[in-house]
Amino acid sequence: MPETEKIAILPYRKVFQIAWQGLRIRLVKTFLVTSCITLALAFLTYILVSNGLAAQVAERASEALRQRLAREGLLEQMLSPEQRSQTAWMLGIALMISFVGIVNAMLISVTERFREIGTMKCLGGLDSFIVKLYLFESLCQGVVGTLLGMAIGAALAYAEGVSRFGAEAWSLLPATALLRTLAISFLSGVGLTVLGALYPAWTAARMEPVEAMRNEV
Amino acid sequence: MPDDVIVSARGVKRRYRMGEEEVWALAGVDLDIRRGEYLSIMGPSGSGKSTLFNMIGGLDRPTEGAVLLDGHDIREMDVRQVAYVRCRKVGFIFQTFNLVQVMTAEQNVMLPMTFAGVEDAAASRRARELLDMVGLGKRYDHRPEQLSGGQQQRVAIARAMANDPEIILADEPTGNLDLKTGEEIIRMLERFKREQGKTIISATHDHKMLAASDRVVYLVDGKITDIKTRDQLKISTGVIADRGAPSSAQ
Repeated sequence: MPETEKIAILPYRKVFQIAWQGLRIRLVKTFLVTSCITLALAFLTYILVSNGLAAQVAERASEALRQRLAREGLLEQMLSPEQRSQTAWMLGIALMISFVGIVNAMLISVTERFREIGTMKCLGGLDSFIVKLYLFESLCQGVVGTLLGMAIGAALAYAEGVSRFGAEAWSLLPATALLRTLAISFLSGVGLTVLGALYPAWTAARMEPVEAMRNEV
Repeated sequence: MPDDVIVSARGVKRRYRMGEEEVWALAGVDLDIRRGEYLSIMGPSGSGKSTLFNMIGGLDRPTEGAVLLDGHDIREMDVRQVAYVRCRKVGFIFQTFNLVQVMTAEQNVMLPMTFAGVEDAAASRRARELLDMVGLGKRYDHRPEQLSGGQQQRVAIARAMANDPEIILADEPTGNLDLKTGEEIIRMLERFKREQGKTIISATHDHKMLAASDRVVYLVDGKITDIKTRDQLKISTGVIADRGAPSSAQ
């Protein structure tokens, strides 16, 4: 077969346009999936920031705050080994909830569209087009959901911090530590969303079209 | 392979695994399809007609044997060449229409042109022309859920014609349609064959299709049991003379 008889690779701009349109038309589903990501990330960020604040009290809190916390028995409790192990548990659970919630939401949203993937392949869509399409879709949902979740989680953690430590809560966590925490949240949220979407999309893209079209959820 | 043959199936077998069991959906099919002919593949459910349809369109690969499209073996093509065949050489029509639900009628018809690298403005122009041709009216911006079954199948036909392919592959195109709409769809396919020289290959068990067919291939248990020409079927063009199967085909 002549070399010229090969399908061209679509430019990213075109793939993004198709992905964006899909997200817009499936507004309710897009909203639901994004909400799952937001919830998971709000929980993860809340736990990370809360733990960060608590961990800094011993080192950075003012004498007055430490004395007040010691009087209320909170300082001892916060520095106890039990508290540390509880923190680790909470962090583990937060990560697990994020992982299961996000990956599950993405798996369902992609697998219910196997037929569409098969159809696109019948019309000349390349495997790489299918993967890019879902990469863009999941990136959009991942970034929006993660940023919203991070904002909600951090706001809740600081609100709780202010109620526990007073206005000093704002300055407890150094900017670099806060940024590191937020970066971990961001990468976890976006990374899990993209991975959760790409795995089924990649599987479907590699199927023969007829096989993909037979797969109904 | 002679020049007038556009598709050639040679010893095509297809095996599926169903749990522990192996099922041969096609058990050795040899068939030459000529350019510009209207060929119907008939047979009961499970006879392998959809499997053969999938092989011809490069949607599935044979376990044994070869399908040659314009003399080229589909198995030897790389992914971009197979995609080219699906996009430019073959137009697909499915029983369940298979329109992309998030796209309008116009965007559905534009999609194969987008894959073929056609600019949006030109693709949109051609999509509207095709939708006018199949009689969709001005419902360019309707999404599939806003269209009836017959209208969706018209969009699917326009989409199949988008890149002016040589072959139109129709899998039970009238299966989900009422009698009148089904007949309109058959007439439309017959017109594409007559006026534009398209090769129409249809997997069907709708006997209305016989009237339009140049040849009918009968498939039973994954094997061709009979091939009849229009003369043998004694059916004149454009007349749906027989709503039952020909007695010799039973």
